[in-house]
Amino acid sequence: MRFWQKTLLVVMILFIVALDLSVGMIMNKSWQLNRQREVQRSDNELALIANNIYENLNSIKSRGMVVGDNVLLDVARSYAEYYRRQKIDLQLWDRGQRIYGRGGAAAGNETGDRAGQEGHQIERSSKLPAPYDHLILVYSRSIEDLYASQRELNRYIVFIQLIAGPLLAAALYMLIRQITRPLRQLSRTTQTIAEGKYGERVALKNKDEFGELAQHFNQMASAVESHVVDLSVMAEEKQRIVDNLAHELRTPLTSMQGFAQYLNAAHIGEEERITASGYIWSETMRLKNLVFKLLDLSTLRRQSIEMTCIQVDELFESVRLMEQGNLEQARIHLFMHTSTANVWGDPDLLASYLVNCIDNAIHASHEDSEIRLLAYEQDAQVVLEVRDFGRGMSPKQVKQAFEPFYRADPARSREHGGAGLGLSICRQIAEAHQAKLLLESEENRGTRMRIFLQLHNNEVHT
Amino acid sequence: MAKILVVEDEKPINDLITMNLKLVGHEFLKSFDGSSALSVLEREEVDLILLDVMLPGLDGYEVMRRIRHLNVPVIFITAKDSLADRITGFELGADDYIIKPFEILEMLARIHVALRRSTKEQAGWSLDGVEVRLAERQVYKHGQAVELTAREFELLEVLIQNRNIALSREKLLELAWGYDFEGETRTVDVHIRQLRRKLGWEDRIKTIFKLGYRLEVQGES
Repeated sequence: MRFWQKTLLVVMILFIVALDLSVGMIMNKSWQLNRQREVQRSDNELALIANNIYENLNSIKSRGMVVGDNVLLDVARSYAEYYRRQKIDLQLWDRGQRIYGRGGAAAGNETGDRAGQEGHQIERSSKLPAPYDHLILVYSRSIEDLYASQRELNRYIVFIQLIAGPLLAAALYMLIRQITRPLRQLSRTTQTIAEGKYGERVALKNKDEFGELAQHFNQMASAVESHVVDLSVMAEEKQRIVDNLAHELRTPLTSMQGFAQYLNAAHIGEEERITASGYIWSETMRLKNLVFKLLDLSTLRRQSIEMTCIQVDELFESVRLMEQGNLEQARIHLFMHTSTANVWGDPDLLASYLVNCIDNAIHASHEDSEIRLLAYEQDAQVVLEVRDFGRGMSPKQVKQAFEPFYRADPARSREHGGAGLGLSICRQIAEAHQAKLLLESEENRGTRMRIFLQLHNNEVHT
Repeated sequence: MAKILVVEDEKPINDLITMNLKLVGHEFLKSFDGSSALSVLEREEVDLILLDVMLPGLDGYEVMRRIRHLNVPVIFITAKDSLADRITGFELGADDYIIKPFEILEMLARIHVALRRSTKEQAGWSLDGVEVRLAERQVYKHGQAVELTAREFELLEVLIQNRNIALSREKLLELAWGYDFEGETRTVDVHIRQLRRKLGWEDRIKTIFKLGYRLEVQGES
């Protein structure tokens, strides 16, 4: 059963019970009062009649006549006939003997309703004053009118309930639907979100508990949405890394396997033999490089480094020596400038970092262009900057550049660069140094790579 | 034999494929990216295309979309072996799908199937006065019909398809007899001896030490 149905039903039942109970009590009270009034009136009339009869009998007696049964009958008859016109029946009894009148045997000073053939009646009786106290006068009057009006009232109440009930139900229905509307809205939104549309929100501006609930609910939905987005981005990144790793492994393996088979099984000459074995050699080297770089990455991730004070000049010189061959081959000039003497770090890792950066710069640069290798102080940090004026990267490429195996070239061809691990290694080296790494790039303008290193050794020696 | 276009940007793999194609007597054209493949197809008519999916510039799927109207059988070569990638390939109308790293014999077999399907496979082939009519399943030596059993003919066909490549006895059993044949490798030796005798190919079908047999055809292409 729905909430609004329950509420409607319970309120209706409560209302009708309360209404009936209170109306019933009021009716009951008014019935008692009416009847009491009728009894009072009957008593008054009875007393009056009894007094009149007494006066009459007294005057008959004072005239010297004997009050016998005949006299009593006459008197009673004259009174009864007079009062019959007012729908009042009178009886006169003498010591248990009926002298006049019809009706039941009620004698004595008692009150009673009797539902006879004539309908409901009030019956009162009273002794006449002494010396006629052996005579009992019985008074009975129909109160059918009273009952009729009571019945009329009952009918009217049922009628009122028949009208008020549906009216109340309709009003209640509207009220409850109005009150539960935010609940339904919340329920709908929850369902939409459960179906996977995490962007859905509850549009509820109420200032009450429902508004509060909606607000909290929206906060929760936002948190869930951002988690879901994060998760799907992470899953995508992971899938890309796996795809790229698969490509990096499968490509050299295909060549190695194929050429080995070729050498083994094919009927070939010397020239083909040299080509095939050359490819096996070069692809093995490529795989070896990949494996070593992956090992570098994982060791960097786990090992802590030992920081020493490095002469920047020496560092740059060793890097220049390592890159000389590549630079000459690509006909690119390396411009070096240092305005700071020392930096704290691991010399091998920093050299590896710079070599990776310069390799990337060479691949991005055109012939006869320049690569700048700079060292300077900024905000109490030493900045090592590698800058090229080559083809640069789009903002989207910059965003993914640090992802392992990411290559700006979707075909991942071998002409430029390696497996796409260079920048991942750079990032690991920066993290190992707790240094900030900044990559800025603009398409066709060039790339600027900066690492912010400690000027002094901040570590506390123990 | 057939003329095959190889579109693969990795030079080693491109060379690997074409060197093997040369071995079994196919003609080939090399292409290292999508757009050059398209321009090759504008100039030349080919029987089959081996197409890498990850190519610089236009990728393999895009190339496939643009050449579908040519009705040339296409076999995709890729390192991506997810189901979704495979379905994309077949939906675009690829004939087959080879996943790196692949075996050369497997690649040749798939090429053979794809060519046969498009009836581009050569109907006959001859060597030293022996004429092999593949479609009729008949062999003539100097104009005289040579009686070969069905199994011997299958074996001969396998040897011709993979000529210049040494095939192990197990591989020959698998290719000529079928996967579920539970015979001994000595069966192969017996049939090879029969073939050599009937065709006079004692010097053509070489026994390769530790490997198996090879049909040697010098300088065919």
